[in-house]
Amino acid sequence: MLTPKKMSRLLIVASKDQLPPVIKELHRFHRFHIDDFIAGGRAGYEGFAIGTPLAGASEASSDLIKVRSIENTFSIQASDITSAEKRNNADLRAVIERELPVIEREVSALNAERSKLDAAIKDCEQKIAEITPFLSIPADLSLYSGYEGFTVFAGTVVKDVQIPEPAEYEIVKKGKAAAFMVAVVPNRQRGDVDRVLSDAGFSPVTIPAESGMPEERIREYNSRISELKANASSLAKRMDALREEHARFLVACEELLKADIEQAEAPLRFATTEQTFVAEGWVPSDTIAEISRRLTEATGGKAFITEIPISPHDTVPVEYNNPSFAKPSELFMDIYARPNYTEIDPTLMLSIVFPLFFGLILGDAGYGLILLALCFALRGFMKGEDGRYFLAVLRNASISSIIFGLLYSEFLGFELPWAPIMFSRHLNIGTKGGEGGSGPMIPALMIMAVWIGILHITLGRVLGIINHARQDHGEHRIKAVMANFGWLLVMWGILMIIWSMFAMPYMPDFTKLPVIVMGLNAAAILGAVMLVLGVLFIARDSPLEVVELPTIISHVLSYARIVAVGLSSVAIAMVVNYISIGMLIGPQLEHLTIIGVVIVVAGVFVFLLGHAMNTALGILGGGLHSIRLHYVEFFTKFYKGGGLKYNPFGLKRIFTED
Amino acid sequence: MADVVSTVEIATASQAGMKALGAGIAVGLTGIGTGVAEMGIGSAAVGAVAENKDMFGLALLFTVIPETIVIFGLVVALLLLF
Repeated sequence: MLTPKKMSRLLIVASKDQLPPVIKELHRFHRFHIDDFIAGGRAGYEGFAIGTPLAGASEASSDLIKVRSIENTFSIQASDITSAEKRNNADLRAVIERELPVIEREVSALNAERSKLDAAIKDCEQKIAEITPFLSIPADLSLYSGYEGFTVFAGTVVKDVQIPEPAEYEIVKKGKAAAFMVAVVPNRQRGDVDRVLSDAGFSPVTIPAESGMPEERIREYNSRISELKANASSLAKRMDALREEHARFLVACEELLKADIEQAEAPLRFATTEQTFVAEGWVPSDTIAEISRRLTEATGGKAFITEIPISPHDTVPVEYNNPSFAKPSELFMDIYARPNYTEIDPTLMLSIVFPLFFGLILGDAGYGLILLALCFALRGFMKGEDGRYFLAVLRNASISSIIFGLLYSEFLGFELPWAPIMFSRHLNIGTKGGEGGSGPMIPALMIMAVWIGILHITLGRVLGIINHARQDHGEHRIKAVMANFGWLLVMWGILMIIWSMFAMPYMPDFTKLPVIVMGLNAAAILGAVMLVLGVLFIARDSPLEVVELPTIISHVLSYARIVAVGLSSVAIAMVVNYISIGMLIGPQLEHLTIIGVVIVVAGVFVFLLGHAMNTALGILGGGLHSIRLHYVEFFTKFYKGGGLKYNPFGLKRIFTED
Repeated sequence: MADVVSTVEIATASQAGMKALGAGIAVGLTGIGTGVAEMGIGSAAVGAVAENKDMFGLALLFTVIPETIVIFGLVVALLLLF
């Protein structure tokens, strides 16, 4: 449970004519992690070459490209399609050749039509944009072009212009923007007018090649656009119908073709000679018997299958081996790093401790319920495996947050009808006023956080000892184990010394012990001995590590964030309540006036907005800080990670079956 | 006599005020410290993640390391206030 799934190394050797059945069976079984053969890469494989793909790979590839392009046009995604009955592979293969080209033709015809319509609509809109400036001048558009002896200027000017006779011009000014002007100028005067206009900041517009009054033309184009849009929407309906009809078929095709290609290209990962092939890979140890039986059946006993011993230099693929409760937390492990094969897999601990930390930080029944509702609401939108895992983690965290909310007696920053069962976090804000209510028990909370830190770090160091004992060899092994033990000694030694000097609530009190020597009592002396011994153990493994000693204190104190971040969220909630309740009750409800109603509405708004913001901050604060405590304070004590992901050959079939 | 009482009152009130100020300074300065420290790490981390998405976990880890500074500030502030 605390280690990855046990793997075995498997060797499959057979003659080349057994390739297709072997590959097919491995693909179907979906457990065999292929160790890719690299030419000249592995000792003992001299004279072997990479295999060649099976027949049909390129046809399947080109079909797959077709299927994907059609899916793209329709924006079909396999994850959107639910409850499809599985289609038989052989049936599907028979119809692919027949139906795929037909669908492709239909789709490309529709697509061409759609882009033609789109282009026509764009064209009309462009024309309207061109005509619009001329609306302000009541003249037929055909009058602006077609002259030999005259030049027409049309455009905007930023300054007023005076164009000398005999040119005709018209300036229309609208508001503060640049004025629109049109001028008809005899060709010989053109140079002068050009100069005058460029002084006035003239920027020309295209003269539309149209005839008729501008309003009429725009009206005409608008009616054309609505006609085209009607066409486009009927086309979209037709495409939707087509999509509805073929979506299932297309995703099934994609799955089948993908499987075909994977299988056809598998020999590229095997070592082959002229007559034989060798496939090496990894399977979970408990499936060896099953895979051997299946392969023997598929090849009629013509394949040689054997388990070969794991050498220390092998990179063993790592598959988690967790109870279903802890599975979702693998998401957080993969973000950090997958465990090594020989390492302790802390997923189970993370899956228990993370929700506890989250609840301790965001211990509020109201926010917990909001998050729980959010989890169920998001279920429809996050369908992938990662999404489901994330929601499961959030669900556990919010349940823990509700439980701690009941213990802390908090609901959206209000007090529940009972006194806090655990340490109180209620701040003296507003209505609580300080008298009567139980103020926050800061020292007690702090000490609780420090205790959590001490225990969590001790657990981390113990795991570190186990990891080093399992992974290392020879002298280094003893040194590394001792160093980890040394870190523990130093931490507990410092604690002993502190306890012997100061009496603290919820902590052992050694101050009353009889003084033995130099004002130190037994506990202090024991602590000092532990500290010195610990430093020696650490220095023996690596003297440089000694500079890291202060992290013992900073890491333990870092757990104070459980209290600090939690209190800040309590404070925000209480301030929001104080402000909004003040706006809601106050004098407004007694003498209801219009302004009073406005203030009450504003109060409700402040209440909703404030708590929405605090919920978001709560997820960030609770989640990020809890996971950080794991990544930085816990994992650095023992966890290395960097294992290879177990990626078995084959795929999860959703739409097809044999 | 009345003067003595009010002087004592003023002294306690100003003590409370000083405590509040101290708490504010503790959180504020450590917040700035954390911000400055995370600035460099954060930009480098975003760059690294843009290059290689697998770096995300490590990048997040490095980015949040200076968080501890502001937590110390918060701890000091809370101990001062309560």
